Amino acid sequence: MIKINAQNVDFYYGDFHALKNISMQIEANTSVAFIGPSGCGKSTFLRLFNRMNDLIPDTRLEGKILIDERDIYDKGEKVDTLRKNVGMVFQKPNPFPKTIFENVAYGLRVNGIKDTSYIEETVVKTLKQVVLWDEVKDKLKDSAFALSGGQQQRLCIARALAISPSILLMDEPTSALDPISTSKIEDLIHELKKEYTIVIVTHNMQQAARVSDKTGYFYLGELIEYGETRKIFTNPEKESTQNYITGRFG
Amino acid sequence: MTPVQKVGNIDANKRMSQKVAFGFFTFFSYLVVAILFVILGFIILKGGSVISWDFLTKAPEEGMTAGGIFPAIVGTFYLILGSSIISFPIGIMSGIYMNEYATNGKIVRFIRVMTNNLSGVPSVVFGLFGMSLFVNALGWGDSIIAGSFTLALMSLPLIIRTTEEALKSIDDSFRHGSLALGATKLQTIRRVVLPMAFPNIITGLILSIGRVSGETAPILFTVAAYFLPQLPGSIFDQCMALPYHLYVISTSGTDIEASRGMAYGTALVLIAIVLLVNLLANALRSYFAKKVKMG
Amino acid sequence: MKVIEQEITLLKNSISEMWNLVHQQLYNAGEAMLTGDKELAYKVISRERRVNAFELKIDSDCEDIIALYAPVAIDLRFVLAMYKINTNLERLGDFAESIARFAGNLPEGEPLDPELVKATRVEEMLKELLDMISLTQEAFEKESSEIASRIFLKDNLIDEINHNSTPIIAQYIEAHPSSALAGLYMAGVIRKMERFGDHCTNIAEELIFYLDAKVMKHMGKTEK
Repeated sequence: MIKINAQNVDFYYGDFHALKNISMQIEANTSVAFIGPSGCGKSTFLRLFNRMNDLIPDTRLEGKILIDERDIYDKGEKVDTLRKNVGMVFQKPNPFPKTIFENVAYGLRVNGIKDTSYIEETVVKTLKQVVLWDEVKDKLKDSAFALSGGQQQRLCIARALAISPSILLMDEPTSALDPISTSKIEDLIHELKKEYTIVIVTHNMQQAARVSDKTGYFYLGELIEYGETRKIFTNPEKESTQNYITGRFG
Repeated sequence: MTPVQKVGNIDANKRMSQKVAFGFFTFFSYLVVAILFVILGFIILKGGSVISWDFLTKAPEEGMTAGGIFPAIVGTFYLILGSSIISFPIGIMSGIYMNEYATNGKIVRFIRVMTNNLSGVPSVVFGLFGMSLFVNALGWGDSIIAGSFTLALMSLPLIIRTTEEALKSIDDSFRHGSLALGATKLQTIRRVVLPMAFPNIITGLILSIGRVSGETAPILFTVAAYFLPQLPGSIFDQCMALPYHLYVISTSGTDIEASRGMAYGTALVLIAIVLLVNLLANALRSYFAKKVKMG
Repeated sequence: MKVIEQEITLLKNSISEMWNLVHQQLYNAGEAMLTGDKELAYKVISRERRVNAFELKIDSDCEDIIALYAPVAIDLRFVLAMYKINTNLERLGDFAESIARFAGNLPEGEPLDPELVKATRVEEMLKELLDMISLTQEAFEKESSEIASRIFLKDNLIDEINHNSTPIIAQYIEAHPSSALAGLYMAGVIRKMERFGDHCTNIAEELIFYLDAKVMKHMGKTEK
C-alpha cells in the first residue's frame, strides 16, 4: 500500500529552486532513508510531509503530495490534523521544560484529551515502546532535562508516538548522540517500522544502510536514485550515487 | 635571531598586554561598585537618623518639616500598581505579537523603530502628553488614573523590548517540537514558549517598576499633589508620591533647611523600595527559572 | 536483538542448510556408486543446481551484510569465514556430482567390482569424508574450534588411503585388463575424494579463524 505519494514536486525558497521535480512513492510500514550531501534538499523534502516548511516565509510548492491518497496541501486540509498523523523527531533532542510525564502527555493534552487514565495509560505504553520505561519509571515527575541526550531523544520519539501517528519523520535523529545511544535508536527504528511508516534523513550512510528498506539519494535538489537499500549499497545504478556512498565525493 | 625566540617575545608581549588590560577592567568595575556604595552610604548616613516608625506611618506636619511621608509611600505604591495593571498586559502582548505572530518584516521593523523612539522620549514630554490627553482632553483631572496611564505609556517600550528579547532567546526547536505534535500556535506560545521566557520577561517588568517608582516628571502634571495629608479615596483622586515629594521638600518647601533631614529620609525610603523590588525580582526570576527547568 | 545479530543468524541458518544439502549429496552419490543405483545418481546430478543456487544466495547475503552493516571483529570474521566456507561447500557439491556422474556412467547391469571396492578402501574413505562433513558442521553449530581441529587428523587417513590406492589400482588393472576403464575411473574418483578431504580441512581452518582469530593456513599438516 502506498502511504506517501509525492508527484512532481518542485519547491522554492524565494527564488531558490530547492527541489526539482521529485516523484516518490513510500510504502506503508517500511523505513525509507534520505541521503545526500548538505543542502541537497533531503531535509526540505522530509519537512514537506508534515508541512513544517509552512513556517518558513516566502516558500512555494508545486506538484502534489498525497498521504493515504489525500492531498495534504489541499485548501481544506487542516495542518494540525495532518501533524497528528505525521509525527516528527528532530536533529537535536528538544524535550519541553516539563516533567518526563508531561512531555509525553503534551501531544494528547494539546489535542484536547482530558481523560487522565487514558493519558496515563498512553504515557506508560509509549515509554515502554521506546524502551525508556525501565530507566524513567521512578522519576516520571522529574524534569526531562535531567535525562541524557540519548534518553531525551527516545523521550521525544515517545512524545511523537503518544498521539498515534501512522508516519514518523526523523530529521537526523542521532547526529547529536553518542554511538551507544545511536545504536539504541536504530534498534528502535527497526521495531517501529512494523507499525509505522518511517522516513529518516541522515548524514550517516551506514545508518541509512542499517535502518532502511529503501534509500533515496538526493543531490542538488534532485532525487538521483531511489530503490532498495541493498541494491543502492551493493550496486547503485547511477555513478553519482556510487561516488557518494563510497565517499569519493560529497 | 631564530623564529623560536621571536615567538617567545611575542608571547611575553601578549601576556603583558593581557595583564594590563585586565588590570583596567578590574579597576573600573570595582570603581563603579565603590561609587554606588559611597552614594548609598551618604544617604544612609544623612537619612538614617530620620527613619522611625512615625516617619513611615504619619503624614507630613508643620509645613513638611516634621511628621512622616506615609501618603507619599502609599501614593507611590498606587502608581506602581496602576501603571503595572495597564502596561504589563499591553506590553507583553505587543512583545508576543512582534516576536511570534508578525510575519511581515517591514511592519515589525517599523513598530520596533517606533518603540525605540518612544523609549528615547524625555520623561517630561510624557508628562506633558499625559496632561493634555488624560488630564484635560479626557477630563480625568489630576488623578491616580491619569498618572498611571502616563507612567504606563512611558514604561511600555521597555516592557515590549524585554518581552521580545526574552521570546527571541527561546530556541525555535521548542516551537517546532510543539507544532509538530499538532499544537496550534497559541497553544505553543501558552504552554511552551511563555513559561520558558517568563523569568526574563519578569526581569523586564521589574525594571520598568523601578523606573516608574523613581520618575518625577510624568507625574508632575498628571497626579502628584504638593501636599495631601489624607490618603486618596478613589482612582480619580490626586496623591502624593515619593520622588515628587523629595523634589518638593528639597527645592520649594516652606523651610528647605528644616526639611533637609526629611529629604534624605525620603530618598532612603525610595532607594529601599527600589532595592526591595529588585530583590523581589531576582527571587521571582530564580523561582520561575527553576520551575521552568523542573516542569 | 540487534539487527546485525538477526542478519547473522539468518546467514547461519542458510549455511547450515547448505551443509545438510552437501552432506546429503555426497551420501547419495556414494550410495549410487556402491549400489549402482542410477536413479539416485541422476537425482544427485539434478540437485547440484540447488547447491549452486544456494551458493549464489549465500554469497549475496554476505555481500549485503558487509555493505549494509559494516561488521567488525567476530562478526566480520564470521562473514568472511562464511563467504569462504560457502565456496568450499559448493566445491564439495561439485565433487558429489562428479561421483554421481561416474556412477551414472557405469555400464548397465555391471556394478562396481566388489573386489576393487574392497582393495581400494573406497567405502571406508567415503564414510570418513561423510564423518568429516558432519564434524565440521558440528564444530560450526557448537562454535567449537576444538571439534574443528579434529578434522586435520581425519584428513591424514584420507591422504593415506589415497596414497596407497595408486599401486592397488595398478595391480587390479594388470589382473583384470578388461576392467581397466573401471579401474581408471576409480582412480579418478579417489583423487577427487582426496581433494574433498582438503576442502574439509579448509573449512576447519576457516572455522578456527572465525572462532579463535587464528590463521591455520599453510602451517604444515603435522603441526596441526
